[in-house]
Amino acid sequence: MRWRVLTLFVSLAVAAAGQELERSPFHGDEASIGAGKASFRLRCSACHGIHAEGGKGPPLNRGEFSAGNRDADIYRVIAQGVPGTEMPAYGTRSTEENIWRIVSFLRTFEAVGDERVDGDAERGEALFWGAGGCGGCHKVGRRGGSYGPDLTRIGRSRSVQHLREALLDPDEDLPAGYFVVKVVTRDGKTISGIGSGIDDFSAQLRDVSGKLHSFLREDVESIEREFKSVMPSGYGESLSDQQQRDLLAYMQALRGEESR
Amino acid sequence: MNRQVWLASILLACAAAALGQVDSEALANSQQDDESWLMYGRNYSAWRYSPLDEIDTENVGRIAPAWIFQTGESGKFQTTPLVRDGVMYVTGPSNHAWALDLKTGRELWHYSEPVPGDLPLCCGKPNRGFAILGNRLFKVNMQATLVALDATTGDVVWEVESADYRKGYSNTVAPLVVNGMVVVGIAGAEFGTRDFIDAYDAETGERRWRFWTVPGPGEPGNETWGGDSWKRGGASTWITGSYDPELNLIYWGTGNPGPDLDGAPRPGDNLYSDSMLALDADTGELRWYFQFTPHDVHDWDSVADPVLIDVEVDGQPRKALVHANRNGHFYALDRTSGEFLFARAYTEVNWADGMTSAGRPILIPGHEPTDEGTLTCPGMGGGHNWHATSYSPQTGLYYFNSGDGCQIYHGATQDFVEGEYYLGSAMENVTGEPREGSILAVDPGTGDRRWRFALVSPPTSGLLSTGGGLLFAGTAEGYFVALDAARGKPLWRLQTGGPVRAPAITYRFEGRQYVATAAGSAIIAFALPR
Repeated sequence: MRWRVLTLFVSLAVAAAGQELERSPFHGDEASIGAGKASFRLRCSACHGIHAEGGKGPPLNRGEFSAGNRDADIYRVIAQGVPGTEMPAYGTRSTEENIWRIVSFLRTFEAVGDERVDGDAERGEALFWGAGGCGGCHKVGRRGGSYGPDLTRIGRSRSVQHLREALLDPDEDLPAGYFVVKVVTRDGKTISGIGSGIDDFSAQLRDVSGKLHSFLREDVESIEREFKSVMPSGYGESLSDQQQRDLLAYMQALRGEESR
Repeated sequence: MNRQVWLASILLACAAAALGQVDSEALANSQQDDESWLMYGRNYSAWRYSPLDEIDTENVGRIAPAWIFQTGESGKFQTTPLVRDGVMYVTGPSNHAWALDLKTGRELWHYSEPVPGDLPLCCGKPNRGFAILGNRLFKVNMQATLVALDATTGDVVWEVESADYRKGYSNTVAPLVVNGMVVVGIAGAEFGTRDFIDAYDAETGERRWRFWTVPGPGEPGNETWGGDSWKRGGASTWITGSYDPELNLIYWGTGNPGPDLDGAPRPGDNLYSDSMLALDADTGELRWYFQFTPHDVHDWDSVADPVLIDVEVDGQPRKALVHANRNGHFYALDRTSGEFLFARAYTEVNWADGMTSAGRPILIPGHEPTDEGTLTCPGMGGGHNWHATSYSPQTGLYYFNSGDGCQIYHGATQDFVEGEYYLGSAMENVTGEPREGSILAVDPGTGDRRWRFALVSPPTSGLLSTGGGLLFAGTAEGYFVALDAARGKPLWRLQTGGPVRAPAITYRFEGRQYVATAAGSAIIAFALPR
């Protein structure tokens, strides 16, 4: 009965105040927090991790949030999304009450402080466009190559932990759409590159020179899809610890301003 | 116009109208009616097989769209269209439906009903089709209502509410007309509902019977639910069943218990979740049941088509019910008694080491979902999920598709909140191991696989087999495909530009065979060039 009374209260409160509420009406309510955790795992965990530890999306288990630490700030981000990132707006897909329940779940994590990168962003930038060779494949703003993911807003959309893993072990978590297609033609040639599409009858890919190819399965010897990155591995050895930190500091600073 | 001519015209019109009526006999003989498609599974045995053979393995490469109807609506088109007397009746997502002229594909009428904004939904707003009796069409709406429409105008004749959508109930199932009643299931197990199968009078909309798929106190099976967990037990019934007129039994599969992934709040086998039910068609009384996955903690609904086939099993002729279950096994049961005949794994299975002689899975320990997660195959969607299957008496093969691969299952304790997700946690994909799929052909008497057509993505469409030796299927990437039903080789395909999520149908119109399917947001009818 307790939750029924609470739900009634919340319904009235939400109806009256909508998104104007500063604090989740479910704050501290265990049943609602449990429901929020369930919703989080269903809708959010694919990007933010099953334990909110972060992944493609920032970690949300650190008690601090980049868009603001008030309940209303977290609500706003969930409801309206973050333009320019993969974070969609859930305001049209979920009820206000359900979003507040997710907010209440996220507020159960104690503040542990954001991870700081002890690096020099300016040195990282020089490395990125110079000896590191990153800019040959990655674009920032209008500068750089387009074989790898666009990093213009990567500091907004990825956690430092995720960026570090992506640098040191690119195969661990491929960005969506970045699988490799390998085609062996009837005359024995192998052509591989980033897959633009693959289905039961055809494949389209872009090779390292940027050239587009399209093949029908019936016209070639084989078409295989590989879930490994074309980004070279081994940066853990070729870059010093300090260089890695500098690069991460640079990427963490990429918030999208360069595209303006 | 003189009086005699006028009277003759009226009589002719009445006779034509009478000819156009779909009565119980027409439904019982639907398998012989080449010019119609009168129910979800084409016949009461749910074969989805048509003897039409104008389009065959030799000429299928020449078929082309005869017309395309763009619905203009977004969402998942999972409908099985009905066809009768020159008209196609199509349901779409978000409570839309249309009547289309078979000659041109032009719209004759459009029905729509708003979907409430506060309707809790797990899986989009699809609808799987109409049922028909007389000149009435029957469809469910998302907000757990059942409507009867005038087939000529699309006007609402009656509408009833099956359950309160605010509690988590919704509906997507294509109804089944049996003995003048409209039989429907319900959805909602992801929200802690207690589910049922209903039968309504086709004439009045009055409910004739209800079978609760989770027994209440004092009813057999209630003891398989610890405490009061039966109140939130789920066991949804969201895919159409089949019917044996001789036995007067309706067969209908049930879905997962709630909460989906956390078994702790519901100790016991949790009857009749994940089961096949045989109900007396007139009373809704349970004649037998068979539970595929007792105490399921992997969301392995057992709603897939119950297909009725008379087949030899171990040298004995059996009145069988065959069913490809989401838990990774193909089953054959005796449909007169529910006796377990056999089960065969058709995809990777790591949670069970075969079955007991009674058909109970022999569990391999370590597959209960945990907070950290456990790797189990198949994944949550199966195995074979809900997509329509097909049995061809021509090849003697049973066809169904399969999602292949594993997932990591996470469990967590969760209090129940009415109208909110009640899953007990969630699944995640295995890094670097994308889920794929396949179309399978098996011998229904043994479960032996005859062929496998690999899909790069988990399947999205249902299947249709024809007397032309063909099996029609669609893919997530938008291909509509004809395979050689005997060997599984692709013979023809068209990139339709949108995911094919529906099963195809076929019919003869003005002496010509058509094959029609929903693709993306369009309905496409194919035929050989004139």
